[in-house]
Amino acid sequence: MIYMSKAAKTEKNPNQSNGTEKEISLSIDDQDVIVSRGSTILDAARKKGIRIPTLCYHPALPPIGSCRLCVVEIEGIDRPATACNTEALEGMRVTTRSERLFNLRREVIKMILAHHPLNCSPCPINGECELQDLAYEYDISEMDSDEYRIQIEEFPWKPFSTPILDYHPRRCILCGRCVKICSDIRGLGAITMDGAGAKALIKPVMADDDAASLCISCGECMRVCPVNAIEERMGGIKGKPWETKKVQTTCTYCGVGCQLDLNVVNNRVVGVTTRDEAGVNKGRLCSKGRFGYTFIHSEDRLIRPLIRNEKGGLEETTWTQAMTHIAREFRRTKKEYGPDSLAGLSSARCTNEENYLFQRLIRQVFGTNNVDHCARL
Amino acid sequence: MAKLILGVWQDKLIDNRNIDESSIEDTFPQLQEFEAGNPVRAFIGWDGFFIFDPDVPVVDMTRAYVEKVQEESCGYCTPCRAGTRIVADRLKKIAGGLGTKEDLLTIRRLAHVIRDTSLCELGHTSMNALLKLMELMPDKFNEPVLNRQPAKRGVYHSIATAPCIEACPAHLDIPSYIDAIKSGNYYESLAIIARRNPLAGICGRVCVRPCEFSCRRSQMDDPVSIKYLKRFVNDQILSYAAARLKPAKAALLTSGKKVAVIGAGPCGLTAAFYLRQKGHMVEVFEELEEPGGMSAIGIPDYRLPRNVISAEVRRMEETGVKFTYGMRIGRDRTLKDLHETYDAVLIAIGAHGNKNIGMSGEEEKPAGYIPGIKFLRDINILHPIGKFERPEGNHAVIVGGGNVAMDCARSAKRLGYPKVSVIYRRTEAEMPADHEEVCDAKLEGIEFLFLTHPKRLEINNSRVAGLTCVRMELSEPDASGRRSPVEIKGSDFLVECDIVIPAIGQVTDFSLFTEDFPIETTKWGTIKIDEETMMTNREGIFSGGDSVSGPKALIDAMSQGLYVAHCIDQYLRGEKIKMPESERIFRLLKTMDLPEPPVDRVGKKPRCPLSTRPVEERISDFNEIEYGYSPEEAIREAERCLRCYRIAMFVTEK
Repeated sequence: MIYMSKAAKTEKNPNQSNGTEKEISLSIDDQDVIVSRGSTILDAARKKGIRIPTLCYHPALPPIGSCRLCVVEIEGIDRPATACNTEALEGMRVTTRSERLFNLRREVIKMILAHHPLNCSPCPINGECELQDLAYEYDISEMDSDEYRIQIEEFPWKPFSTPILDYHPRRCILCGRCVKICSDIRGLGAITMDGAGAKALIKPVMADDDAASLCISCGECMRVCPVNAIEERMGGIKGKPWETKKVQTTCTYCGVGCQLDLNVVNNRVVGVTTRDEAGVNKGRLCSKGRFGYTFIHSEDRLIRPLIRNEKGGLEETTWTQAMTHIAREFRRTKKEYGPDSLAGLSSARCTNEENYLFQRLIRQVFGTNNVDHCARL
Repeated sequence: MAKLILGVWQDKLIDNRNIDESSIEDTFPQLQEFEAGNPVRAFIGWDGFFIFDPDVPVVDMTRAYVEKVQEESCGYCTPCRAGTRIVADRLKKIAGGLGTKEDLLTIRRLAHVIRDTSLCELGHTSMNALLKLMELMPDKFNEPVLNRQPAKRGVYHSIATAPCIEACPAHLDIPSYIDAIKSGNYYESLAIIARRNPLAGICGRVCVRPCEFSCRRSQMDDPVSIKYLKRFVNDQILSYAAARLKPAKAALLTSGKKVAVIGAGPCGLTAAFYLRQKGHMVEVFEELEEPGGMSAIGIPDYRLPRNVISAEVRRMEETGVKFTYGMRIGRDRTLKDLHETYDAVLIAIGAHGNKNIGMSGEEEKPAGYIPGIKFLRDINILHPIGKFERPEGNHAVIVGGGNVAMDCARSAKRLGYPKVSVIYRRTEAEMPADHEEVCDAKLEGIEFLFLTHPKRLEINNSRVAGLTCVRMELSEPDASGRRSPVEIKGSDFLVECDIVIPAIGQVTDFSLFTEDFPIETTKWGTIKIDEETMMTNREGIFSGGDSVSGPKALIDAMSQGLYVAHCIDQYLRGEKIKMPESERIFRLLKTMDLPEPPVDRVGKKPRCPLSTRPVEERISDFNEIEYGYSPEEAIREAERCLRCYRIAMFVTEK
């Protein structure tokens, strides 16, 4: 309904009616839509609340156009066009639902499933898989997909671009999202499509024959993969989506403040996911934020302050006692040896605000300019 | 050879099945044999098929065709990746005698889906011939299903091609290198180009780009800027990733054979590069003090800076090609000597002699009469080092309508002649020069006199005093459709000028052939070679480039260099010199001249313009005019490629 009211508002504004340079109007399923020039048919349809099925399309990526599910009919052109990467033009008449389109989409999903196993129960993302949803929507069972089953030779396990990720060629539907995000968003091009026809695979790119992979282990490819073909190679079973609790939090690794969801199963953090629109990072993370969570349950992790006693051993204490001890010792040192005998070194894991407060503490309370930051070293 | 029995192309059907053979017209007179003694039985292509032999194994033929599609499918879109594989599997089953009626239904259903939903033209066109065959010859498909008999096997020759690949004399895999640019993989893009073209920087600046003229994108808006994209990847790699370029593995290879290449022009350089890649030791002998041949001295620096050529040659040197400059064969060393010292010799001396117009007064060679090639050569060699002495004059007249004439005219303008004119005997539409070149020349203030032909050189005091010209008109088109210029009687007029530069063509200088070691030549002033083996009448001496074909474009010379390298390689290995199958298919396709299918896509996107230096600034110097694409512009331009890949397959007897 929100979409509808927005569109209605635009239509009423006389300055922005069709014919002006910035906006164009077209008809989708006999509804008039006004969109800004350069929008795709998919953008226009979504603006009107018309659903066109997609699979390779991802809002964080430029259109890919590989899955061919978003085919629509355009008046005057015999061949259906893909909505995700066809520009909406003035006066275009688009049909998104017809028997022909339904059959084409159903056949295409069946083709995708020709080499993707439909035994969903052992799959970790069973229940939040885009391909599973489409198979459900188009009523495709194993019987339908077996009709087109392609015999593919077994793929021996091969290292992926980084040891932190595993690639499952059987699950992969070659939508190309991972390749696109790596080349267009991360600007790396560390993975690419390799091989021909049904034997195609996603493969790491080596800078030279004998050089290391270009991969920086950010795991963005894993994030956009719709079918979990790229999977984290850490830990064991992660838990099913419906028993996973997602706790939104801020990454503690640096001052950027990326938003992430800690996936919690039985009160243990088993993974990190992101939401596409959340926070400053808009779903992106670096390798530390995405994979650096196992320390949470480390046995070596300090969870209470310790004070060294007179015998030289460490003793558990409370935060109040620890802070009082620290303050007393700093004050004593400053009094005996002067403020320049003290120095502050801050951490990149603090936020900008914390770093600001830290230097105020060192400069104004301690009275010295001996302050620095680990990121500068 | 049988006549055409059944053929479809686009919507045109030729059905001679029930017609007496003697009354059948020859549709493809040149498509008799695939190679000597091997007749063509059928052709199956992207928009139809032609069957010449009634017994051709139709099911197995389509199986081979779809399997080739599957082999060439990039794996990017679902229908082409998975769909063609399913169809190929089913056809294989039917051809093996195990097919069922359901399989035929599945094939038909999937074929329509693949045709309608594939991403690029490979998928769009992959099923056309199959669907038409199933419609016109249903029995051929039903028989193996009903009888459960394995179908006969055939002999197939197939290739993945595209209109641009077919048009390019070197058959460069253009859509593939554009694909690599799209994904930002410039290094791979250059590697794809280097498989058939080692001079991307030169070609990306001055190629006459037959590929762009055949680009199907022009049906929608403008052709893709293939040339500028090639230049872009070359410049990117040179400027940003030079450190990543290692000497090719070829530097380690050696066959123990030695090849001498005479002439470091486009043909010689290309041949030298690929011969080295194949493991032979190559030495290039060049008369001038620098590499490039006609591309260095015939093309002014404002179009092709010399550092581009030297960068290309440096890359070749890294692979182990040796260069000797300042050595003229026939003067410093004899051809006979080379023939005795080396296992093979390639003569790629180009066409550096100037052709005379054939008007009176020419033989006197008065001051101010400068042959076009000499003019460009002097500018290119002497101008950069400040030793060029400009012939005095006020009005320079260039005779000719080709790219050399344009180069002469635009160079003359840069030398500061107050008035520069071009005289051409036909109209602007017939000019062989690049359209962009002509437009640029006009922008720079060069005047054009069309339908004008020089008749007499006016000489005063052994100096050019003017040019008497005559008006021409175009005759009615002759049998070949060409309109030749005819003189209008009595329309003589005088063009007052003091510099005349004829640029109507070049000839080869044969002074390296001595009487005791002759090489056969043709009456057109070129070296005579065997078309298939590129060998002259003397065993082990090959020739290519302009010295064989007469003056042609850079890419033509390079394609000959590529081909002659293949011939020399086979010769050195002691094998029979045989044309590669792909080359044979390309030549046959050219004779068939099939009409291009129309483009049915939406979304106009005009080509990305290239930024150039402003006219006022550029006409006073010889620095490069064009800036080249930025990465954003290049990717935007690359996205315009429709990827018109398609499969062509010939079925032959053996």
